[in-house]
Amino acid sequence: MATVWRSQCAFARFFVGKTGRILNNAADLGIKLTPESISVSTTRSYSNYSHSPLVKKIKEQYDFEIEKNPPEWAYVERLLPLEIIPPVQPKETYPSGWIPPKEEAKDLPYFMPRTKNHELPIYLVITHKGQRKVSMLRKIEGDIWLMNDLIKEHLQKNFNRYIETRVHELGRFIEVKGDFVNSLREWAYSKGF
Amino acid sequence: MSFSLINAIRKLNISTVSQIRLISSGSTDVSNINSHSNSDLNVTQKEWKFPPQFTKPREVWIENLDSIDEKKLGLFELHPLVYAVLPRIDIIHRNVIWQRKFRWVSWAHTKTRAEVHGGGRKPWPQKGLGRARHGSIRSPLWRGGGIVHGPRSGKTHFFMLPFHLRIHGLTSTLSAKFAQDDLHVVRNLELPTEDPEYLAELIEKRNWGPSVLIVDDNDYAPRNITVATENLPHVNIIPFYGLNVYSMLKHDTLIITQTAAERIEEKILQHLHSNTMPQQAKFKLNQV
Amino acid sequence: MGSRQITEKSLAMLRSLPRLSLGNIRDNPGSRKNIKRGRGQHGGDKHGAGNKGSGQRQNYMRLGYETGNNPFYLRMPHEHYYKGHHHRRQYPPISLLEIQKLIDTNRLDITKPIDIASIVRSGLYNFFPDQKHFGIHLTDEGMDIFSAKVNIEVQWASEQVIAAIEKNGGVITTAYYDPHSLILLKNPKSFFQTGQAIPRRMIPPPDVIEYYTSAEMRGYLADPEKISEERLRLSQKYGYQLPILESDKNYNMLCERKDPRQIFYGLEPGWVINLRDKCILKPKDEELLQFYAS
Repeated sequence: MATVWRSQCAFARFFVGKTGRILNNAADLGIKLTPESISVSTTRSYSNYSHSPLVKKIKEQYDFEIEKNPPEWAYVERLLPLEIIPPVQPKETYPSGWIPPKEEAKDLPYFMPRTKNHELPIYLVITHKGQRKVSMLRKIEGDIWLMNDLIKEHLQKNFNRYIETRVHELGRFIEVKGDFVNSLREWAYSKGF
Repeated sequence: MSFSLINAIRKLNISTVSQIRLISSGSTDVSNINSHSNSDLNVTQKEWKFPPQFTKPREVWIENLDSIDEKKLGLFELHPLVYAVLPRIDIIHRNVIWQRKFRWVSWAHTKTRAEVHGGGRKPWPQKGLGRARHGSIRSPLWRGGGIVHGPRSGKTHFFMLPFHLRIHGLTSTLSAKFAQDDLHVVRNLELPTEDPEYLAELIEKRNWGPSVLIVDDNDYAPRNITVATENLPHVNIIPFYGLNVYSMLKHDTLIITQTAAERIEEKILQHLHSNTMPQQAKFKLNQV
Repeated sequence: MGSRQITEKSLAMLRSLPRLSLGNIRDNPGSRKNIKRGRGQHGGDKHGAGNKGSGQRQNYMRLGYETGNNPFYLRMPHEHYYKGHHHRRQYPPISLLEIQKLIDTNRLDITKPIDIASIVRSGLYNFFPDQKHFGIHLTDEGMDIFSAKVNIEVQWASEQVIAAIEKNGGVITTAYYDPHSLILLKNPKSFFQTGQAIPRRMIPPPDVIEYYTSAEMRGYLADPEKISEERLRLSQKYGYQLPILESDKNYNMLCERKDPRQIFYGLEPGWVINLRDKCILKPKDEELLQFYAS
């Protein structure tokens, strides 16, 4: 059974009972675990923290070297998390089907910027256990009413039925009643967003 | 906006076009600015880390605090995603409520029937007296008895508003302040005297609101301004990391140093363009 | 252009309205509901507990009880085929299409070898080692469009996926990581900040050791000669020209593999990484070196 010893150094903890074997991470204490290393009698087990005697600091340490600015630091930096999402670099082809935004889109009176993951902000919102489907176009800037008219025109031409939309100026989004996400994405790509 | 408000604006005959001076970032018409008598004006082309798309960047004069009269020292460009965002009043409200509540600890305390002194003995026998049956004189039914579901001391009201809402609150207030001409960018905070009268006169002359919030780049500010602001209760100086929605709304005018404005922009843009899952995950509530 | 632009319109409106202050802001109508206190006609009287019965007297029947008949949760008998399903290893999937998308949008660096740590670092894939997730399962969605030369290391891959990657001149390996190593790989920064030495990776358990020693699955413990035979066999099966790796200019990068006891690329077990001072503490003691090299 592992017993906790009190030590003068607040963070050192020792496990008694398996002194002979080095556990996988026990070596990172930097202290050699030999039968003589623990300077408290192993015959009595102290279950009470406040009444157990203090453990003296061990002088024997494992030998180690400190390497400043090591050549392997590049590998360490590769593992650390990214600060910002990397910007997209232009390539000839995108095999996955990802379409980059075009510069000409900024000349239009309305605009839909990409999300921070470089995707189109067109989503399908499903509520009421799948009965209610709404296609949402978010982050719209510029003339939202003109964009609304164009979207309705485009969808009416493609699907040949009345298209119900909701324009929310303060929230900067347009909700289209129904699942028209694929068609709206095609329209957005055609405009260059 | 409500219908009546839009009607009121229509009656005022305010055209929304003429009031905005939108100068594009690519313009090189420096000649207008150079015609001013000030010779040390510098208009440098700013390198954007996240170039503004569609919405034009805002331009602001860099002013000085050396003299009581205002002098324009240059032009400075501000990123639209931080300073020209559609101001969401409801998000600003939520931020203000959050700032008010999350640190508040309610110290109101009432005693329960167990804590009120006495009431261990049965006051009178169960049967025979013709009186109502009672077990203790401190039950909640009694006058002077314990309170059942009363306030318990040390009740914390801590909660965290989602990370993006807090960022949006900051950008909304900065945009609102800028739109209402309450944002001024200053080159540095060097005052000629430490006299608080000088600062009060400056604020009065330049028509800045009675209360002023000064945002500096770092914790250390020049001596003159710290002494002056200490003696004026309505003028406060904070470092850039102390910027918050409540303070910005409480003080009428906001003065930011040029470096502080850049740092705020940099930080907010970094948060808007990075993976923020670690920041959000810290305060995410586990729903078991 | 001016008055129909939503942002410009709202900011212009603000210019003619009173100054925004603490006194004239409010939340959206309908976003806050008043708290129902238990006093008076609404909220009070019976306090939502109804009349008499177990409902008002808080003496409820146990959850799931259906007043005597065989309850729903006891009707279904055990089926042998799902015995121990919650003990089995799981490999959350990521498709080749997603990997291609990460490469296209510059979130994954092809010039370096790819392993779980780099895929999790890109931000679009997550797995939970404490929920018995043992790594990445590369699925074949997008194997027809996949065209990137990568050195990738996953935990589970099918034959077609291996063929798709090798067709483009890449290298795929399947490797095993024990749960502790996976926790380290998921968040290396927090592990380095604890100041512990990098531990050794454990060998796979007996039931899966055959998978990781087989050349067909490109296991990390398999014989390299057998792997090259298998590469030829796959190229013949799926009908593509096997690209010669030796003549490739990225040959060194493509050949980079981890030691069976190594968790991170380039960092050996036993090292302690100091992020603040940017130095690495390496053990010199023979006992430790022997232990970590075993």
